[in-house]
Amino acid sequence: MTRAGSKWITFALWVLFSLMTLVPIWWMFLVSVKQRADLFGKPSFLLNIGRMTWDNYAIVITNPAFQKYMLNSLIVSTANAALVCALGLLAAYAMSRYRMKGKDNIFFWVLTNRMAPPAAFLLPLYLLFTGVFSVGEWSLFDTRIGLILLYCVLNLPFAFWLLQGIIDGIPAELDEAAYVDGASTWQVLRTVIIPLAGPGIAVTGILTWVFAWNEYLFASTLTSVNARTITTGLAEFVTVTGTNWGQMAAVAMLTLLPAALVLALVQKHIVAGLTFGAVKG
Amino acid sequence: MRSSTTGWLLLLPTIVILVFTGVMPFIYVLLTSFFDWNLFAVNPEPQWAAANNFRRLVHDAEFLKSIWLTLKFTLYVLVSQVAIGFALARLMMRDFPFKKFFRAVHTLPLMIAPIAVGATWRLMTVPGLGPIPYYLKNWFGIDYRLSMFPDQAFASVVLMDIWHWTPFVTLTLLAGLSNLPQEPVEQARIDGANEVQIFWDIILPAMKPVLLTTIFIRIMDALRVVDEVWMLTQGGPGAETRFIGLHIWKIVFPKTDYGYGSAMSLLTLYLTIVICWLLYVAMTARKERPL
Amino acid sequence: MIAMPDRRGFLPIRTNAFDRVFISVVLFVAIHLLWMRFLEPTLPLWIATVLSVILGAVIVRRG
Repeated sequence: MTRAGSKWITFALWVLFSLMTLVPIWWMFLVSVKQRADLFGKPSFLLNIGRMTWDNYAIVITNPAFQKYMLNSLIVSTANAALVCALGLLAAYAMSRYRMKGKDNIFFWVLTNRMAPPAAFLLPLYLLFTGVFSVGEWSLFDTRIGLILLYCVLNLPFAFWLLQGIIDGIPAELDEAAYVDGASTWQVLRTVIIPLAGPGIAVTGILTWVFAWNEYLFASTLTSVNARTITTGLAEFVTVTGTNWGQMAAVAMLTLLPAALVLALVQKHIVAGLTFGAVKG
Repeated sequence: MRSSTTGWLLLLPTIVILVFTGVMPFIYVLLTSFFDWNLFAVNPEPQWAAANNFRRLVHDAEFLKSIWLTLKFTLYVLVSQVAIGFALARLMMRDFPFKKFFRAVHTLPLMIAPIAVGATWRLMTVPGLGPIPYYLKNWFGIDYRLSMFPDQAFASVVLMDIWHWTPFVTLTLLAGLSNLPQEPVEQARIDGANEVQIFWDIILPAMKPVLLTTIFIRIMDALRVVDEVWMLTQGGPGAETRFIGLHIWKIVFPKTDYGYGSAMSLLTLYLTIVICWLLYVAMTARKERPL
Repeated sequence: MIAMPDRRGFLPIRTNAFDRVFISVVLFVAIHLLWMRFLEPTLPLWIATVLSVILGAVIVRRG
């Protein structure tokens, strides 16, 4: 076989695999823009532009409950990403630059938090959130602040790990020089570390944002009305309205939209991100 | 190196948050698991129950079944994903047009919310609406109903997971392959080794650390799968795809039998930790060298 | 890391003090669970406790 021939065979194979990846998502998009009457019958993977409708999206977006879910998801993910980046940066800086007894044990312990199966923590967290972490009538249960803090258990170890690698890459001489000039720790962080680690912090922030946005299990058990997020909204579409496939598809499309955006932004870093830096992308 | 007091101050917020969200739940679940505590029992207050919850647990057929299903699921997805992922990674190493584009498409499922993955596959498999039941019926005469046939439900969940997570294996192995030194491979080729020998004797041993890391992460994720299975099959038909996470979340949690639920959570955690530790030992290969 | 020398005992891997305690606890739990599942009606549970404590002590000291 010639070299050029094998090149095009590989290309053809990848076209095939990409189709396998894209067809389910494309199908969901089709369902979301179909009219109710067209849903059933012989499935076609072609878009019928003449009978296309954006009604499902319009219904979903103007639904106040959905708006609230969307808003909650935005607030929780953004606040959580900001929080874990800030705390992760401080912790990673300490880990990278200070000599502390037993810090490796702390490091290992922080990472184990990420490995635990969330389902095993549902019950204790539910009991703690409804009963123990409460002041009078107010408890962490069904609050956005509760979710923001809780997602730290997933995202903080991740941010910590990623940022430590980044700060390790910044030469310590740079902050030593600033210290000699009389800068405080805070000033060193602000003027030396943050500007140099900027891109890394951005990647960390984006990935943790997506993880928080995607989370479902905790959101479904630790909220009831006020702090529900979009993923719980999507699940409710299946169990509550049951057959409203068009709207469900529209919600699902809106839920996975951030994924596509993120992919464009941080594609290179996804591997390092998902393997905790154990494998460099 | 600066003074360690400042260092601890910088670490403090992280430690505090993780103590509240990680350590306290663990201690809480540990304590609760030794109590009889059911809000709707005659006596709703917690009472000391010694090992009774665990005694019930080891004879609980539903629980044992869900553990067994989870392990079976993990094995199926792991083997297929590593095999497919390795093949795809090798394919990605070749030179072909639009490589970056294909790589990006292949990465897409990794970033999608698991719950949306479940919704996607549900739309593909709903009878009457989805293309999968339609074409299986019309082309192969197979009656495809997730809510009726356990084998189909299980296979569909496995296929969905393969769709969702194979890209992860592909990308990590691809990273491993690209960092592999080329000289040994070329030397072997000059020495007249064939492709199969090169693969088994040179590439595979060199890939061992990356492979083990990938397997480790995939196992941890497969053991805790919940969202997408819930969306696709609701754990059904019956309890045939009700994996351990789903079982705790949907069956035990709503029963308010807190002591028993805690014992189950704790045992799940125990099994995860044991599997995790065994893999970790295998990974760091402590047999040959000290830590 | 707090210095914990690792060594070769009768266990198939090199272990430090933490590893040996960890292995003992894991075995302690496993023995109790299996005992409750298969042996309890005939042999009371405290035998399992005694056995696993002895096993744990051996592992911590000699493992």
